[in-house]
Parts: sequence; C-alpha cells; structure tokens
Amino acid sequence: MNMSTGYAQEKDYKAYTLYVYNFMKYIEWPEIESKGDFIIATIGNSPIDNEFKTLAKSKKLKGRNIVFKKYNSVEEIDNCHLIFIPSKEYATLKNINSIIKQKSILLVSENEGGAYKGASISFAVNDEDELTFDINRKELENHKLKISSTLVNLGNVVK
Amino acid sequence: MNNLLNIALFLRPVVKKILLLLFLIPFAVKSQTDSLLLKKDSIDIYDMSIDELIKLKAHGVPSEMESLINSLISVASKKPLNVRESPSVITLITEEEIKNSGARDLIDVLRLVPGINFGVDIEGVVGIGMRGNWAIEGKVLVLLDGQELNETVTGTVTFGNRYAVEHIKRIEIIRGPGSAIYGGYAEYGVINIITKQAEDLNGINITTTYGQMEKDYGRKNLSISAGKRINDLRISFSGFLGRGQRSDQIYKDYYGDSYSMAGNSSLNSSFANIAVSYKGLSLRAIGDYYNCIIRDGYGEVIKQGPVKTSFNNLFSELKYVKDLNKKLNLSARVNYKNQSPWKSNGYDFDLPYFVTSTRIFQNVSLNYNSSRKLNFVFGSECYQDYAIDRMKSGYFSNGGNNKNFQNYAGFFQGQLKLQPINLIFGTRFDSHSEFGNALVPRVGLTKKYDKFHYKILFSRAFKSPTIDNINFADSKGIKPEYTNVYEAEIGYKINKNSFFSINAYDISTTQAIVYYTSKDSSNTDFYSNFGYTGTKGIELEYRFKEKWGYFNLNYAYYSSTNKSSVDVYSTPESKSLLAFANHRVNLNTGININKNLSLNSTASYYGKRWFVSGIDSAGNSIKEKMDPLLLLNFFIRYQTPIKGFNVGLGVYDALNSKLNFIQPYDGGHAPLPGPSREFIIRLDYTLNYK
Repeated sequence: MNMSTGYAQEKDYKAYTLYVYNFMKYIEWPEIESKGDFIIATIGNSPIDNEFKTLAKSKKLKGRNIVFKKYNSVEEIDNCHLIFIPSKEYATLKNINSIIKQKSILLVSENEGGAYKGASISFAVNDEDELTFDINRKELENHKLKISSTLVNLGNVVK
Repeated sequence: MNNLLNIALFLRPVVKKILLLLFLIPFAVKSQTDSLLLKKDSIDIYDMSIDELIKLKAHGVPSEMESLINSLISVASKKPLNVRESPSVITLITEEEIKNSGARDLIDVLRLVPGINFGVDIEGVVGIGMRGNWAIEGKVLVLLDGQELNETVTGTVTFGNRYAVEHIKRIEIIRGPGSAIYGGYAEYGVINIITKQAEDLNGINITTTYGQMEKDYGRKNLSISAGKRINDLRISFSGFLGRGQRSDQIYKDYYGDSYSMAGNSSLNSSFANIAVSYKGLSLRAIGDYYNCIIRDGYGEVIKQGPVKTSFNNLFSELKYVKDLNKKLNLSARVNYKNQSPWKSNGYDFDLPYFVTSTRIFQNVSLNYNSSRKLNFVFGSECYQDYAIDRMKSGYFSNGGNNKNFQNYAGFFQGQLKLQPINLIFGTRFDSHSEFGNALVPRVGLTKKYDKFHYKILFSRAFKSPTIDNINFADSKGIKPEYTNVYEAEIGYKINKNSFFSINAYDISTTQAIVYYTSKDSSNTDFYSNFGYTGTKGIELEYRFKEKWGYFNLNYAYYSSTNKSSVDVYSTPESKSLLAFANHRVNLNTGININKNLSLNSTASYYGKRWFVSGIDSAGNSIKEKMDPLLLLNFFIRYQTPIKGFNVGLGVYDALNSKLNFIQPYDGGHAPLPGPSREFIIRLDYTLNYK
C-alpha cells in the first residue's frame, strides 16, 4: 500500500459512470424489458448527468441505444431501466423504492448505505479512495433483476 | 542592454511565482484532473474490463496538497487512516520538504513542527520539549523504522547531527499522547521516523555535507544508502558517518568559568541500518554509536578539560506479517535492544559511568476488519529489561550491580465508521514488576465532510518510570506519572491547493516524576512523584502546495497558568515554563525556479524565553527573560546536468541570531550556545538500478 498517496476532493464521476455501465452489462433484465432503448435516469441535478449524456451518445448496450433521462422530482418517474440517486436526493431513496414497487428498475445510490435503505446497489469509498459497491440481492430479486456472479465477486453483498 | 533584457526575461517567471506566494494567491483553481485521464481521455475507457475497475479512485488524481492532507498513516491508530481522520493531532513531514529545506539534522526538521522545541539537559545533551513541557526523559517516544530509540536507563533521546536526514522518507508525528498504543514512553508525543526502503532506493545514493560556522566547522558528514527489490525479496542498507560540533561560541557557567565550544563540543555519529525482507518476514539490525565531547558537565565548566560521553545502541527486529484471511491480519515481532547511554570515564567529582541495559520485547497484534465500517485491533506485549553496572560500583538501589524488570501489556482498539461520525476507542493495560499497573483509555470522535474535518479527542497517558527513576526513588517508591489530554481540531480545505487547521489542547500531568536533592546533610539526589504540571494552548497551521512551490506557516502558543506546581519548571510568570517560548511561529517555503533549481527558505520566530541566569548570594536561582529572536535559513538545490548529481548551498541562521538551548528545569546549567551562522554545501549522487 502506498501510504503516502492521498486523494483529491472532487469526485471522479467518470469512474462512477464506468461502474454503472458495467452494472448494466452484468445485470439481466426480464425478457420483456430487454428490447428497445435502455433508459438511465437521475433525479434532480447532479454532476454525473454530463457523464451519463456522454455515455448515452457514445455507447450501446448489447445493441440497444442508451437514452439518458432526467427527472426533476420523484413524481415524474415513469418508465426507465436504471435510476441513479445522487447524494443530494439520498433522502428520497425509500420513497422512490415504494413508488417503483416491483418494476424492473435498478436503483443505484451514490451514497454508502443506500443498499440498506432500498437501493439494489450503493457505492462506497474505502480508506484508499478506491470505489467499491454494496449489493442488496433481496432488492434485486424483488425487482426481478439477475446479477452475474462476476459482478457479485467484485462487490460486497450486504443482504 | 541585451544581457539585461535576457536576465529580466529569465527572472520574470521567478518573480511571478514569488509574488504569488507572497500575496498568498491560493485561490487559483485548477481544472480537475481525474484518474481516468491517466488513460487516454476518450470513449475507450468504457471498454475497460471489469477487473480493471477494482483500482478506480473515487476522487481522481489528487493535487499535491490533497495527497498530503489525505495521506494514509498508521502512527495514531493501528489501522491506517487518513491524516484528517486519524484520532490524534498529526504532523506529516515529507522527504521533499526535508530535502528542499537543506535541514542539517533532526533538530532543523523538528523545530518547524508546532509545539516542538529543544532544550539542554546536562553534559551537552539536547532533548525535546513538547507543547511547553520538558520531555527528554521518556515522555516522547522516538521510533526509527519501528525501533524505540529511547534509552531504557533514562528514557532519553539526544539530538544533534545524529541521524542522516537524507535517509528519511517521511516522519509521522503525534503531537499529543500515544500511550494507549505505544505504552509508557509516549506520554506527550510520538515521533515515527520512516527511512527509505528497498523500493524507494532502487539504487545507490551517496551524500556528503560540509558546514562552516563563524569560528570552526559545523559538520562533516558522509552518508550512503542502497536498496534493491528482486520480486518478493527486499534488501536495503544505509550508513552515516557524522562529525559535527554543537557550537563554536563561548559557554559560561554561573560561577564565571568559561570555555570555547569550538573543539570542545563534538557530536560524532556512526550509524548503520540493514533490512532484509521476504514476503511477510522481515529482519532489521541497526547500530547507532554516538558520542559527544563536552566540558559543561552538570553546569559547571569541567576543570580537567574535554570529556567524552557515549551513547551506544544496537537494535534488531524479527517481524512477521500475514493476512490470515480477507478480514484478519496478524503481526508478530521480537525486538532486541542493547544500550549503554551516558558512558564516560568521569570528571572532577563525577564518577565513571558505564551501565548497559538490554531489552527483549515481544509483540503480537491482530487486526480484524469486521466490515468496511468496523475494525478491531487487539494484542499483547511483554518486555524484559536487564541492566548491568559494568563499573561494578554497586550502582543499583539493591546494592548490586544488576537489576531485572518485566512488563506485560495488553491493548485493544476499536474503530466504528458511521455516517455522521467516526468513533475510535481503545485502552492499554501495563503491569510492571517494579512500579505496578497502569491503565490508559482513549476516545476519539473524528469526521471528514468534504472540505471540512473535525476531531474531538481524549487520551489518558502515562510515563513509565525508567531504570534510573526506579533506582533513585526515595523511600516512598516510584509510580508512573499520569497525564490527561483533551484536544480538539478543526480543519478546512480552502481549495485543492491550500489547507488550514486549528487545534486546542489541555495537558494535565499528575504524580509528576521530579528529580530533587534532599535537604538533609546527606545531600542525596532522588526521584519522587510530587506535584502536578501541564500546559494548555492552541496551534494554527496554513499550508499551500502546488507543483511549483509550497508555503507552510504555523503558530503555536502554550500557557502554564494554573497548570503547574513543580518549582523546578516554574518562572515568575505563571503562564510560562522555563526554556520554552509561549509564542512560536514557523515558516517553510519553497519555489521550483525550473525543473532543476529550487529555492527554499525557513524561518523560526521564538518569543521571549525564561532562563536561569545565575545564583544570588543566598543561593537562589535568578531567573530572567531572553529577548525574542528570529532564525532565518536559506537553501538552494540544483540538479546538475550530470544525471543523478545534485548540489545544495545554504546558510543557516543567516541573521546570526545564535539560538541557544536553555535548561527547562532549574538544574544549575547555564544556557548552552547553539551554532553560529553556518554555511553549508551538500553534494549528493544517486545511481538507480535499471
């Protein structure tokens, strides 16, 4: 371990986006949700929005176009495949989970601990500033999402 | 005219950088770089394999300042934490700062740390003070690559041209108690010196330094280091030969006798440090042979002439570290140290002295990461001390020529990371065969929120009575002295390049171990527990760091008002203790003129200091105040066109203020002069292995 290497203060949202893209690749949605555009959404304003826009413009997911959608409030939530809940909107996590009920939507929380509060996946940062994530398998099952073992081995299963 | 124009053009960027530093424009914001820019900044990053995700950083490439303030350190807790969340008030000194400052020895390095000062003990020995408290006798633990440098007989560590600063990779300092982790030498602080290891060296380095004071040489030093890593095998070696002098000025005692310290205050060091490691197993051996030529004795000029006092140390360590599983780590070590401090053939009325002590020390620790949020460390230590009077003079209190002690200790630390707060709690229990038991708990609440961090800390600490404390205890016996320390710190990252912190502390020591002379006709010297002492104060620090330069400014203030009842430390002003200025300011700046040339300056301001200037006709000490002074130092470092060869030129104490070392207790020793203005030249050559 390089004990003397510290870390920057502003988050690297490219790194977060890269993880989210891999969640999309290594999680399976039900057949009926696997056609048409793949919609990633965020709630409110977040620095990650631009990164998702770049991802949507430049990449596809298994042949499908990626579309980025922004909801200004939880009431606007409609059809999408993945909702990223930024830090500022962390308090709305439980509410969002109750709104989407058992729809096949992957809830990803930027804040550590989100996986205990209804998100299927939440990010965390370790002491060496490495990005990691927690997985709530119960929530994934609840939303009829199947996670590959490759992704499970990379993260930390909390439930 | 053309030449003038060329000079002006060359100096323009230099002047610009100096102006930026002087007017403190730390608010320039650089555009963020992120870790993924280390790869080509293109859409290709999304094609990274899933295995490559593991090392992605959440915060991208740090600025120079961010690297420093968020560094992981382990000195303050057994589990590495970043500086801003560590449960102690921490100073981290880097190799770059030491190299650029041109520091001559550890005194130059450490005096820039808030709260650290130096004073004279006896026989030319200079020791450390922490936050106004005299700490030479086993109250600040000094570690070098994990080896306790403190002498077992007296607890002292003596400073002055002793260790090669060019070998140092970093120094982690706890500016507060550390007993809950480190035991009885860490009452007031811990200085953890880490030298360059095999990967850092990867080649050979030779450095030579010459210093010239007003009247005589200041130092003639030569050091060498080499290291190599071959797969899992790591080997490193460092050696140092130092020939220095404490001062070239005149020492005058209270009775009017004097002598020139030029030629009578040598500081000679021979040092070697070898380390070999293979996977989790490591072996280290250090030989540290240091002698001083002195004539100041206990304060009175030694009539017979210069006398040699030696401090010989041999350290060795065998250590094994193993990850038992993903969550559990084991560390086990055995240390051996053999020391013979203060060795001399005697002088005037002082008898020859040659006492050796051997300590064999065992430590086993387990580090358990229950989860990302919860960590436990627990372990046990024991040591056995054997002290032998080689002069067979019946030195020990049992009338014999040897004495044995044992100490057993257990420690525990828990760390819980919650959303609003990090909680660190720990305790250590020691049981010593002579002085009994000591239990010291500590609690820390810390948290880092974006740019802001805070710490609220409480520690109980203790000083183990040393072999001499036990040996010269009066009829009541000797117990550990205890200290309660409350500390609070707030830090704020102004932007990517600048950082500010302020901390406050309150130190209260009870059962203070004090040296005194009996008032009966026997006139015998004893140690006893009596009185209380301590200080309270604040420390402020501002740091600015960019690729092209840095600027560090710190201020430290202490007060002993209502904190100390120990007469030998006192002065006519209740807020001040002997020797140490209430107000201290340090400045450390550096500019990289270009990629080959750096210009650096350090300055230390000392407020008024109390000292004992003499003895009146009734035999009472006369105490006076010394005027404030400023130490100003400059150093230029140049990387020559010859690859690996660097030259440094500097002047220490450019104003010739001649800072002296005052005795921090009323012990009969006049202030000991330090060096006069000293010009230094340093040459270093590094050859890297391919």
